[in-house]
Amino acid sequence: MFVVLRDLLRYNGEFLAGILMTGVVVAMALLSFVSPYPPLDQFVAPMDVPPSAAHWFGTTSRGQDLFWLLTYSIRNTLAFGLLVAILSRILSLSIGLLAGYRGGWVDRVLMSINDTFIVIPLFPILVLFYFVMRDNMSWVMLAVLTALLGWSYDARLIRSVALSLRHREFTQTAVFSGMRTHEILSREHLPFVLPIVFSTSLNNMNWSIGLEVTLAVLGFTDINRPSVGGMIYWANQHSAVVAGVWWWIAFPVGLVVMLFIGLYLLAISMNEYIDPRSRLERGGGRKE
Amino acid sequence: MRAYARYAFGRFLQFLLVVFIGINIAYIITHATPIDPVEHTVSVATAFGHTAPEAIESMRQSLRELYGLTGSPIEQYLNFWRRVLVADFGPSLSAFPSPVSTLIGRAIPWTVGLLGVATILTWIIGNLLGGLAGYYRRSRLLKGFGIVAMALHPMPYYIAAIILLIVFGYLWPILPISGGSQMNVARGWSSEYILSVARHSMLPLLSLLLVGLGGWFVGMRSLVSNVVTEDYVVYAELAGVSKRRILTAYVMRNAIAPQVTGLAISLGHVFSGALITERVFGYPGIGSLLVDGVHAGDYSLVLGVTTVSIVGVSLAVLVIDLIYPLIDPRVTVS
Amino acid sequence: MSAAMRNPAAKPETADGPVVAVRDLRAWYRLRLFGVDREVKAVDGITFEVRKDEIYGLAGESSSGKSTLVKTIAGAMRPPLEIVGGEIQFSFMDGTMGLNRAPADLVERVRWRHLSYVMQGSMSVLNPVRRIGTSFFDFAFRHMGLDKAGFEAAVVAHLARVNLPASVLKAYPHELSGGMRQRVTIALATICRPQFIIADEPTTALDVVVQKDVLAMFRSIQREMASSVLFVTHDMGVHAHLTDRLGIMYAGRLVEEARTPDVFARPRHPYTRHLIHSLPRIGDDRPRSGLEGTPPSLANPPSGCRFHPRCAFATERCRVEVPPMEQVAPDHRVACFEKDRVEATP
Repeated sequence: MFVVLRDLLRYNGEFLAGILMTGVVVAMALLSFVSPYPPLDQFVAPMDVPPSAAHWFGTTSRGQDLFWLLTYSIRNTLAFGLLVAILSRILSLSIGLLAGYRGGWVDRVLMSINDTFIVIPLFPILVLFYFVMRDNMSWVMLAVLTALLGWSYDARLIRSVALSLRHREFTQTAVFSGMRTHEILSREHLPFVLPIVFSTSLNNMNWSIGLEVTLAVLGFTDINRPSVGGMIYWANQHSAVVAGVWWWIAFPVGLVVMLFIGLYLLAISMNEYIDPRSRLERGGGRKE
Repeated sequence: MRAYARYAFGRFLQFLLVVFIGINIAYIITHATPIDPVEHTVSVATAFGHTAPEAIESMRQSLRELYGLTGSPIEQYLNFWRRVLVADFGPSLSAFPSPVSTLIGRAIPWTVGLLGVATILTWIIGNLLGGLAGYYRRSRLLKGFGIVAMALHPMPYYIAAIILLIVFGYLWPILPISGGSQMNVARGWSSEYILSVARHSMLPLLSLLLVGLGGWFVGMRSLVSNVVTEDYVVYAELAGVSKRRILTAYVMRNAIAPQVTGLAISLGHVFSGALITERVFGYPGIGSLLVDGVHAGDYSLVLGVTTVSIVGVSLAVLVIDLIYPLIDPRVTVS
Repeated sequence: MSAAMRNPAAKPETADGPVVAVRDLRAWYRLRLFGVDREVKAVDGITFEVRKDEIYGLAGESSSGKSTLVKTIAGAMRPPLEIVGGEIQFSFMDGTMGLNRAPADLVERVRWRHLSYVMQGSMSVLNPVRRIGTSFFDFAFRHMGLDKAGFEAAVVAHLARVNLPASVLKAYPHELSGGMRQRVTIALATICRPQFIIADEPTTALDVVVQKDVLAMFRSIQREMASSVLFVTHDMGVHAHLTDRLGIMYAGRLVEEARTPDVFARPRHPYTRHLIHSLPRIGDDRPRSGLEGTPPSLANPPSGCRFHPRCAFATERCRVEVPPMEQVAPDHRVACFEKDRVEATP
């Protein structure tokens, strides 16, 4: 494990950049625990102060310190992404492994359902959900629904790996030694798919965070809970760009963009590590 | 031919399944919530100003019918389906008495036009550049483009749109940032109107393009760099088949098939992105309609847009599936 | 119209000169992975020639370097494989490096017209999304100097020669059986009537009955066109039936070469003897003796004669000196210090 990490850091610039960018964002989220301001308080700082020594990222028109508010927001946003990733992993792992291992009609039925969820446009459905729930909607409910709708793409990937494992010798050995399906899947196959589970969860986090930011910006989430999208929503409500309070938009957007790129770079460098073909290409490419 | 018919039938069944599951999700969301949408809508509608109690009562009654909350659960469910199948979502509450179907019908050409042009352009440009980058691995220009595309790719549509809005709306205002066409230009097939529509589409189009390109670029680049090592490409090179034909008919042609499947898979995502982009730039498509509907508490409009979106996207996917055998002749066999 | 007129680079063919002459050819894989250099000497000093109108066989176990040798001659090298030294001379073009350093336009003219290639793994050499007819057009049309109708007639006539109906032109590769696909690739490689055809394990993937059929057809086409063929396979049985002369490769070097019947009747190199003796024979049910040890690593080959660690005849000299290829009879060359002792041993 340590060697893998060292190799990645030494030979893979993308991994290094990804670690750095994600690291900054996570550090920011951790800072929220030592914030001098409670997250929901308003008018605790002077309004519309540009970035300065006292207020690093400036303050909002609602009298909040942008830097410390952002620490809470990014923490909540990360928590949302993590929750969706964990919940949807459970679904995509069990469905992907089962479809790949059982094959036949089980595979066909599960993949038909899977393809259905891939095709259905999620945004209108989430908006409909908000429309029905209105103020009763919490971020956990949104995360659960997002996970329920967002497992399908990764399930397909996991299935294709499981499909190739199915014909390997150790699977046959396990079958003949009388292991049950769920035992084979959890003990024999899970370790093989874990690396790709890891890289797909990073992509999944990117996707769900993007969705949450978008919904929040439109005001379709719990707007009183600080989140990156929520900050942009309030900035828009106060016409921040027109009023010249550019930092209110620029810092949240900048931070979340950093998170997107960081997670994405981590995901692709993971993928490269998993797929030896592209690794070899990198080795050969050095010679050019 | 018979193989194709079997394949097409299978894809058609998949289309029906998508619509079936999608509509059921919409049904569950609207009917299994702990909140009474009727009371909620009434309270929203009566929040401003005074409304006579009789009016409220008649509103409540018609809302119950509208939401399909009258009759037994089975009747409610069948009723829901009947309205979907005949595309009758009743009158819009916010633009009463215009029927929802009229509002959607007016907005759809905008969305289909923007989304269609954006998707096709993105797909073609992304795959072309990605394919070239995979084939000519040493080109610095294409390598640089790859880095830019990789940075843009993970961006959600909203963020890209708002960055463009700030750049072109405030820092360098050369393009219109809102609306579908200029207010004072009459609709019709005049060059002035078409030009105005084109100018207004530029920013939404550009934001869809910027976010979309990266995915196709990166995907096609890695597909091509795998295909060039395939035996049939190496063999054609050994036979002295011309470089250009190898690139087009051997490399690109084989790498493009998974990208067509990818297009079908990503359509739902792209569609969601287009709805958001419309909203940012005030583009008069169904994305703006959806958001306005939510703000106005217009249930039938929101449900109508959701349903039409599900059916529309699955229909587009079906079309791609049906033409796919032209790209990859092997698919009808397996 | 003669080949020389059509191709200004082509030399007039001499009556009995070799179609290709390879002299002291060395081709190595040079790898740099994570900062470590590795050299794999897959072809290390090989000299032989293929004469006009003959099938020259190349035998040896997998990883003996025969595929690398063939790639080098066919100009199919990709980095990290590179030519380190030696010459390749074709009768139909100038230059001593064969196709490898010739100008691109010349290479494009020579390929398929004068030299064609039946690649290993022929199941996958046809573009899966292109009809067979289009592939013929891509590969051969510009070499044939015919109009479209004439070209199609020529293709159909040539397909008949390999017992394929004209309807395969409309088919996609996946619609054909393995044997048919193999015939298509052979037809594709022979349609321009090239002087020199390289065939690398062309029948390995086929089942035995189809294989026999395809080989017979290959032989008849070669006879008819009087082409020269370099035929590579590890299958000694195929060599016995098909080839005129046979070269045996071991660990990147040629160890013996003779007319095929002589190789089978009077092998002089211990490794060749082992190959022949391990062939099953009807009525002979003695257990076959296996070869001890493992094939050498080409990244770190044994010193001297590369076969010495596995050789029953090896002496101290074999460990130190590289045995040269020496003529022992007409058309019979061997690289072994102990060749006389080998021959004397029953």
